[in-house]
Amino acid sequence: MSEVPAVQVNRLVKDFKGSFRGGGIRAVDEVSLSIAPGEVYGLIGPNGSGKSTTMKAVLGLVKPTAGSCAIFGRDSSKVDSRMEVGFLPENPYFYKHLSAAETVSFYGKLCGMRGAALKARVNEMLELVGLEEARHRRLRGFSKGMLQRIGLAQALVQDPRLVVLDEPTAGVDPTGSRQIRDLILDLKGRGITVFLCSHLLEQVQEICDRVGIIHRGKMVNEGNLEELTSMQDRTEIILQDAPPELLEQIRNLVDQANKGELVSEGHPRSSLESLFLKETIEAESKQKAVSVK
Amino acid sequence: MSDRLGTSFFSPRRAGIIALSTVTQLVRMKVFYFLAPIALLFVGLQFFDVFWYEGPEASQPQQELMMHKNLCLGTMMLFSSLFAIVSTALLIPGDIEDRTLYTILCKPVPRLDYLVGKLLGVISVIFVAMLVMDILMVVTLHYRTQAVSAELGEYLGAIGWGEEEVRQGQAEVVSHGPSLILQYGVLAHFFKASIIAAVALLISTFSTSTLFTIASSVMIWIIGAVQSLAREGLFTKGEYGVEPGMVDRILGTIISLVFPDFQLFESVSDGAARAMEIGVFDMLHLGGLTFFYIAIYTVLSWFVFSDKEF
Repeated sequence: MSEVPAVQVNRLVKDFKGSFRGGGIRAVDEVSLSIAPGEVYGLIGPNGSGKSTTMKAVLGLVKPTAGSCAIFGRDSSKVDSRMEVGFLPENPYFYKHLSAAETVSFYGKLCGMRGAALKARVNEMLELVGLEEARHRRLRGFSKGMLQRIGLAQALVQDPRLVVLDEPTAGVDPTGSRQIRDLILDLKGRGITVFLCSHLLEQVQEICDRVGIIHRGKMVNEGNLEELTSMQDRTEIILQDAPPELLEQIRNLVDQANKGELVSEGHPRSSLESLFLKETIEAESKQKAVSVK
Repeated sequence: MSDRLGTSFFSPRRAGIIALSTVTQLVRMKVFYFLAPIALLFVGLQFFDVFWYEGPEASQPQQELMMHKNLCLGTMMLFSSLFAIVSTALLIPGDIEDRTLYTILCKPVPRLDYLVGKLLGVISVIFVAMLVMDILMVVTLHYRTQAVSAELGEYLGAIGWGEEEVRQGQAEVVSHGPSLILQYGVLAHFFKASIIAAVALLISTFSTSTLFTIASSVMIWIIGAVQSLAREGLFTKGEYGVEPGMVDRILGTIISLVFPDFQLFESVSDGAARAMEIGVFDMLHLGGLTFFYIAIYTVLSWFVFSDKEF
């Protein structure tokens, strides 16, 4: 029997009503995706492309107009599906009157934790995100990076199998951003499924196993990151310690060269950023062409 | 790792966690600082004579105590009702604006738990605030009663009244001092504030702004206070003996079903200030009515909130 996907989105459609004069908008249009347990999946797209709406549908914060979302096989509109999920929204705000420890404890209690187990888990989470020293400080005085880290601690408090991160490094300085990236890699190492959307394509490329590119509500490309970024019509040869004459020979006739060491041969990759731009521009021009017709 | 809560239809424990968090939030917002001027007002009433009060020779010296009680109960009513509206109107929209609600609802928290928790939190703070005001009122009223009673005794003795008559006069004054009946008046205001909080909760589930929630809740508060008068006008025969029409009847029925009748609570409070007889049964009836109103508004809030998208 095949493993139940951590996230399963089937032909998701989400329409938002407009004003009385009409003008409703389709934010998500027949999007389907599947995330395997333990995978790090990145959903990327321009502003207003439907990333956050897809994420909110997965979390049960918006109701699909059509289609369905499931978390570990459970309908995501049902409350019990959230037992396995931790969510960090973009630029999170928590109760400013609570301290770091109280915040993590509050979310732990909401998940049914209590007593010594909760206390130990709060300590563990604060240590994980590097906020032990700020445990008694109220969140009112926290920087964006610290809020993001406390957000991650609350998301992980009930030891979820799936973590959903919406722009986890938005507004965070490079150091903080790096720490969050390392934390995500740590989660990946522990077998936790991560579903994230981000504008930082380099970071997505660095940590994601698979990506989906969404544009104007439609999934325009999806797949394994290596496959997506490889350029099939080109061949890359990496040589080590090759003398200049060999390079010259290679330039002339690579397959006749018999000096030097051919270290590897593979497909050179474009950056995820190029792919992203290519896909979105192509989709844009296709849409324009359709509307002209 | 944890004895996790089930994600049943409603979990009192989870609602309690949210209620406790709401109490902490309101306490740390320093809402109890409002009690300082109220305390000053209650203490200040000790030194304030009513304009119609002309000393112990007046026919009804207990008027002064009634004024004291009316002012205290009126202050409590105003504070508790406004507090119920403003705090409820600020809490849920605040959670939505700050996206705190996202993180809460993304945990296994049924929306009913969240709503009930918020409401219970506000009602708990109102209860504590009213308890403190009640203690202040009882203490200040006790000293005021002692003073008026002593003054009356001296005066009646001086004009030659007999000991028994003086004692009767003083007993009449003391009957207007702190009593269980007075507590019923405080309880009526607490019930009323709790209903107002439930109304504000309902409005905040579909309102798009805090201002709209506050304005609408105040409107319902006013309608609730005068609806019995409106109902009387619509259901009874007019000045010229004209029977109310079908539209009037339907309108009256809708008003009485949708808006709470606060006049009932006010009449208990007025009766308490006048030291009139109020039975336990009357209070049980009022408590039952309060529970009914709160339950109805909470269920309506839940219907609206359960389909709300964020």
